[in-house]
Amino acid sequence: MSLLQLRDVSVHYTKTGSFFKRKSAVIPVIAQLSLELRPGEIYGLVGESGCGKSTAAKAIIGLHQLSAGQIFFNGEDLSQLTRKARKQQMKEIQMIFQDPYSSLNPRKNVWNIIAEPLRNFEKLSKADELKKVQKLLQRVGLNEESVYQYPHQFSGGQRQRIGIARAMALQPQLLIADEPVSALDVSVQAQVLNFMKEIQEEFRLTMLFISHDLGVVRHLCDRIGIMYRGSVVEEGTVEDIFRRPQHLYTKRLLAAMPEMDPEKRQHKIKQRLQINEEFDRLADTFLDAELQQISDTHWARL
Amino acid sequence: MLTFIIKRTVLMIPQLLLLSILIFFLAKQMPGDAVTGAFMGKPNVSAEQMEKIREQHGLNDPWIVQYGRWIRDALHGDLGQSFVHKQPVTQLLAGRIENTIWLSVATLAVTYSLAIPLGMIAGRWTRSWADQLIVTYNYISFATPVFVFALLMLYVFGFLLNWFPSGGSVDIRITEGTPEYVLDKLKHLVLPVLSGSLLLTYSTVQYLRNEMIDTKMKDFVKTARAKGVPENAVYRNHILRHSIFPIAAFLGYEITGLIAGSVFIETIFSYPGLGRLFIDSIMTRDFTVVTALVLISGAAVIVGTMLSDIILRIADPRIRFG
Amino acid sequence: MMISLNKGVQHKSSGHSSFLSKILAEIRQDRMAYMSAVILIFIMAIAYLSPLFLSIDRVNRIELSQIYHPPSATHWLGTDDGGRDVFGQLLLGARNSLTIGICVTLLSSFYGLTIGLIAGYYGGWADQIISRILDFLMILPSLMIIIVFVVLVPNYTVYHFIFIMSIFAWFGKARLIRSRGLAEREMDYISASKTLGTPDWKIMLFEMLPNLSSLIIVNMTLTLAGNIGLETGLTFLGFGLPSGTPSLGTLIALAKNPDIVQNKWWVWLPAALLILVIMLCINYIGQAVKRAADARQRV
Repeated sequence: MSLLQLRDVSVHYTKTGSFFKRKSAVIPVIAQLSLELRPGEIYGLVGESGCGKSTAAKAIIGLHQLSAGQIFFNGEDLSQLTRKARKQQMKEIQMIFQDPYSSLNPRKNVWNIIAEPLRNFEKLSKADELKKVQKLLQRVGLNEESVYQYPHQFSGGQRQRIGIARAMALQPQLLIADEPVSALDVSVQAQVLNFMKEIQEEFRLTMLFISHDLGVVRHLCDRIGIMYRGSVVEEGTVEDIFRRPQHLYTKRLLAAMPEMDPEKRQHKIKQRLQINEEFDRLADTFLDAELQQISDTHWARL
Repeated sequence: MLTFIIKRTVLMIPQLLLLSILIFFLAKQMPGDAVTGAFMGKPNVSAEQMEKIREQHGLNDPWIVQYGRWIRDALHGDLGQSFVHKQPVTQLLAGRIENTIWLSVATLAVTYSLAIPLGMIAGRWTRSWADQLIVTYNYISFATPVFVFALLMLYVFGFLLNWFPSGGSVDIRITEGTPEYVLDKLKHLVLPVLSGSLLLTYSTVQYLRNEMIDTKMKDFVKTARAKGVPENAVYRNHILRHSIFPIAAFLGYEITGLIAGSVFIETIFSYPGLGRLFIDSIMTRDFTVVTALVLISGAAVIVGTMLSDIILRIADPRIRFG
Repeated sequence: MMISLNKGVQHKSSGHSSFLSKILAEIRQDRMAYMSAVILIFIMAIAYLSPLFLSIDRVNRIELSQIYHPPSATHWLGTDDGGRDVFGQLLLGARNSLTIGICVTLLSSFYGLTIGLIAGYYGGWADQIISRILDFLMILPSLMIIIVFVVLVPNYTVYHFIFIMSIFAWFGKARLIRSRGLAEREMDYISASKTLGTPDWKIMLFEMLPNLSSLIIVNMTLTLAGNIGLETGLTFLGFGLPSGTPSLGTLIALAKNPDIVQNKWWVWLPAALLILVIMLCINYIGQAVKRAADARQRV
């Protein structure tokens, strides 16, 4: 059974028109997106910027209203739940944000930041709360003493760890990571990623990992969905995607990955140019394409 | 652009409507109506008769009917009857509005002819002694309440130095139409105008100074300078062209300040304009006049703001409203 | 590895200081603001401590035998139209004017904050509606309407006056907070709080508001001056404080008579100058506060 399921989810940005224009422009950001996450897996959602992957994350966690479709969590349709039940369910879904600088309130110290979810759901005494916060800090590799410090006193990587500690405070079932390392220095990226993997294994978390970087996804994820213009065009295991890419867009993304072996470089460049040309020619036909099952784990819109 | 103008003009209609409804209800709260006013000082009219007349005048109708009638009359130029002056309000206002318009136009003219050079000097030679002086003056003019300043002007120039008349709009002994009459009228305007305009320069000076400092950093100015265009020409051409039009557009936004200022200034200099009339009328509880004045002022601000919005939009399409 | 990550964290803390200490530093640097602060504290101290050495009843007692006496040793600033000591009236008036100015500022900030936060936090339709209403309110001829209200209220007291003034003093604040709130609501920490299950009102008050606090403090200082100016102005016109509660405007109101302007300067001139000084001081301090809040203002 799946933990999270998106069924034909669409999100539109309505450009809030002026007082006069009631019929304002409707811009579809994700269109009929279907996804399934199984318990305990890391699912990578990959696509170029602007393809709607962050919007999908925000739709799941409730920051964007769906214009169509349903989201099931633990088998329950989130939109059908009462406010209270929904809040209990949403407690099980947490998120790590892309920008570690704006995702922590600069006016609050680390204690208050990490304790925020605890205060909303658990009635703890001050001492217990502090103990829990310190334990979380320790778990994410920060000093217990830093509870009284403010976000600006930490580096980007450390801030992202605070964000992870906050998201883990309620021990959620599902963690959504929206490009959690793209704002960090390359040198810190690997550190944070390895650490996320550790946490995922320890708590047997299900994770939706959003990224534009295929290299990162390859090392971290079990399954990968390739997103293009608001919907998933190909989905499969890491093996499926990297060894047997079917969709032209997937091929293009793979071709764009830098090649380390100098001997293969020339060949790769040629391949890339060829794919790009084909892609430009066919780009408009993608969205009407039919879904095709390639294997048990692998399908694509072709 | 045309659509913007039409939209902005259309937006004015609900504003005017809302304003008139608000004032209508305010007027309803005021003691006395057309009937009590008309029969003031006639004790032989009984309460029943009064009630009958009220019925005839439709004062017992539902408010929407009364409002409709009131707004229809107002649009036809009938703003009711002044109890105190015993004449139609429209006629009363017509006699005073000229003075206020003179005062306002003169105040604005002096304000801009002071503020524009000051702002440009301050922005051109930032951190010079002249700039420091202008900035200090700007601080003070921003902080000073108009009535305190007007009183000090009156005291110093009207009484201590006796340079200018201390009140009124013209000496009544001079015959109308002669050159002396015009000169005397101007003389009476000097103090009220200065009291207002010396304080109103603030926003224009501030705006121009900032604008010039910003423009200095822009690439096109650097390019012009590098190409050997004389420094003064750079400022004259670029900055004036870019900044003067928006300043002209701010005029409409100044109307609120002008109206509030005129209430104080006309009171202090006993200048027979609308501001003074407002205070006099409210003192004598002449509420039809009060209502009419609030309505006119509100409408003036609405129209002024609209014009400013439109001019500004033409001047600088980047500026968005809402 | 963990140890190395945390190294140096302790030292960085000195870079950030509280808004209050920034304000104090800014005031200390600016000679005019520093002088203003000293003068203002001095005036406030005398005005608020005056009941200790001045009896209010005696200041307010009417002595018909001593009307319009010029300054002398017993009456440092002479006497007014009721034979009352002008100096005493001045202290009392300064205290009342300051208190009322502060009350109006606080009250109107409260309205402006509430409305502005709601518009800024929710955005969308709530914001559209509130903005349209604000557009309308901002173009009202508020001075005239305040005066009409003052005249219409039965059993008019100081509290009515404060209430009426504050009703017309919050539009600009609401708009200011709304626009900054709209920018703030796009920040991820607000989104984070939503996903953590924090209720909207808590996010508004404990997440968004603290980040707008410097803006609010700047605005409050600058509008305090404006509110004192408006109060004294209205009292001057005769539509401000009820008689019996002297304000600085009460003394100046006597100057509506040309004879007093010309010949009895001691009645109104000190009050006028005192208002001027208070306003300048508050504005200089306000500008320093503004610079402390926004380093870009230093140009």
